[in-house]
Amino acid sequence: MTTSTQQAAPVVTPSAPKKVKKARETGRSPVMTWFWNIVGLGIAVVMAFPIYWMIITTFKTNKDLISQDPTFWPSSFSFESYKTIFDDSLFLPSLWNTLYLTLGSVVLGLVVGFLAAVAVARFKFRGRNFFIVTMLVVQMVPLLAIIIPLFVVMNGAGMTGTIFGVVLAYLVFTVPYVIWTLRSFIVNIPAELDEAAMVDGCTQWGAFFRVILPLTLPGLITTGVYSWIQAWNEFIVANTLMSTSGQKTSMIWLTFYSTTPTRGADYGAQMAGGLLVSLPVIILFVFFQKKVSAGLTAGAVKG
Amino acid sequence: MSVTTNETVNRSEESGPAPVEKPQRRGFFAAGQYIPYSLLLPAVVVLVGVLAYPLFSLINLSFKNVNRYAYLANPGLSKYIGFDGYTKILGDSQFWEVVLRSIYFTAELVILSMVLGMLIALLLNRVSNWVRVTIITVLMFVWAIPALVNGQVFRWLFTSNGGVVDYLAYLVTGDESWKHYDWFADPTVGLYVVGAAVIIWGALPFLVLGLYAALTQVPKELTEAAKLDGANAFQTFRHVTIPVIRPFLMISAALSFIWDFQVFTQIFTLRNTSPEPDYWTIGVYLYEKGVVASKYSDSAVISIAMILLMLAVLVYYIRQMLKIGANER
Repeated sequence: MTTSTQQAAPVVTPSAPKKVKKARETGRSPVMTWFWNIVGLGIAVVMAFPIYWMIITTFKTNKDLISQDPTFWPSSFSFESYKTIFDDSLFLPSLWNTLYLTLGSVVLGLVVGFLAAVAVARFKFRGRNFFIVTMLVVQMVPLLAIIIPLFVVMNGAGMTGTIFGVVLAYLVFTVPYVIWTLRSFIVNIPAELDEAAMVDGCTQWGAFFRVILPLTLPGLITTGVYSWIQAWNEFIVANTLMSTSGQKTSMIWLTFYSTTPTRGADYGAQMAGGLLVSLPVIILFVFFQKKVSAGLTAGAVKG
Repeated sequence: MSVTTNETVNRSEESGPAPVEKPQRRGFFAAGQYIPYSLLLPAVVVLVGVLAYPLFSLINLSFKNVNRYAYLANPGLSKYIGFDGYTKILGDSQFWEVVLRSIYFTAELVILSMVLGMLIALLLNRVSNWVRVTIITVLMFVWAIPALVNGQVFRWLFTSNGGVVDYLAYLVTGDESWKHYDWFADPTVGLYVVGAAVIIWGALPFLVLGLYAALTQVPKELTEAAKLDGANAFQTFRHVTIPVIRPFLMISAALSFIWDFQVFTQIFTLRNTSPEPDYWTIGVYLYEKGVVASKYSDSAVISIAMILLMLAVLVYYIRQMLKIGANER
């Protein structure tokens, strides 16, 4: 999959281009490099500006916020917007809901997906290739297309309005991805390894926990981070399924925060809310940068 | 520990020729005939429950006349109406308007984001190391912002009262009237300029980083050979670079199409949860009909239409992925 390109890239870069830099390729004068540097910095500024503006807005005072001529740096820093958010009685409960929901779908998705990945990677059985292809096809079903039937089915099972119902629904996109990704990790663990562990006296479970699990750990982290981001950011399914109970996830809370008459124009609070809600995902990105970009590229996710 | 069965072990290619008929299962999973099936069971149960059955009931719904009232309050009213639902939707001029708008919008998004992504990826090869690191860091942060927050931030950037884009336009042109320019008054501007800006901004990190990784795979010898043979920069790019990165190029174009065609969240939040009909692309249309207006059967028909419209690209994408997967195995 696309992972291979992502993973192979860093291996190529460190050694080779250093020398090339010194020799400098034909047709690449230092003047041109500086020209391209300026263009590059310009692009970086344009790309970063919305984020900068979001962050700077959260610290602005009311006077700055309603001014017709926005200032590019707050005249004085104020934490009023954050206070507004934390004073909102629905903010923390919805954050907890999102946390349960995310943890639930990550854990359940990893367990269910891991078992199936072991089956397709280590066993030959009738229907194996069919199953693998199905997993790929299933990933491409547009989630938006099945929200109505999903609602009808969940409602029939009495699970609309519950967090568990949404966790189950999220397995639609986590399980196929986990199976597809972990499969390639497990295929590459030679059977001789766990055999050797058992010859040396491990029980079957011992071999599993000491050999197979540690070797698939990178894959588990990649898929776990992917599932976390997907579940945390998801809005439509949660909104549709939870609508019957009035419970909210952070994303639902954030979306409808701006529609209340009192908060519609309070962009300081809206941006603070948006920033706080995105923070867990941003932190994941910072910590697992390589894994995230490899995993998201493989899973084909746009932010 | 070894149980004699006629199952074979699936081994990786590197460990030598695969034993075709080895009468033993080896390693951890040595026992039990039905192990693979029992390992698969949870995944199969889950996917049947939340995917296969809903897909079935999607088709089922599309032949009925179900809405919220007929479903919840008076189930007796719902009945099969055959293809009447299809003729109703397909005869609706709004449906065709929405489809056409989605196609134009998707074309704009795919072309612009691919071209911009390619240009920035090429630029990354030209700049100094520290500039490259700066750009990639910025892109990672952009990538980390949820799509829903993207929409909110851009609504704030483009707001007609104290919005920074209006102010910047005023600073550049010196024209006071820019200060209150309403970007959303004309849906054509709102969707094809502001809507496109949010979506492309959010899509660029994936495309740039992916294309950049693909570009580093192009062998230096090839481009140098092309230069020696007298090719100029554009010819080298066109006849050497493009063919090498073609697989990734095609896959990312297909993916961009698949995402952009069903885009919903960004437009939904950009218009503050109630997009006007002129902003409806097919994803928004589906939501408005199915969730807001609770016309379940109508939205089922729209869903099926949406999947069919994407089918060619979906099939292409899946086939490409299978090809790559087959090489990997």
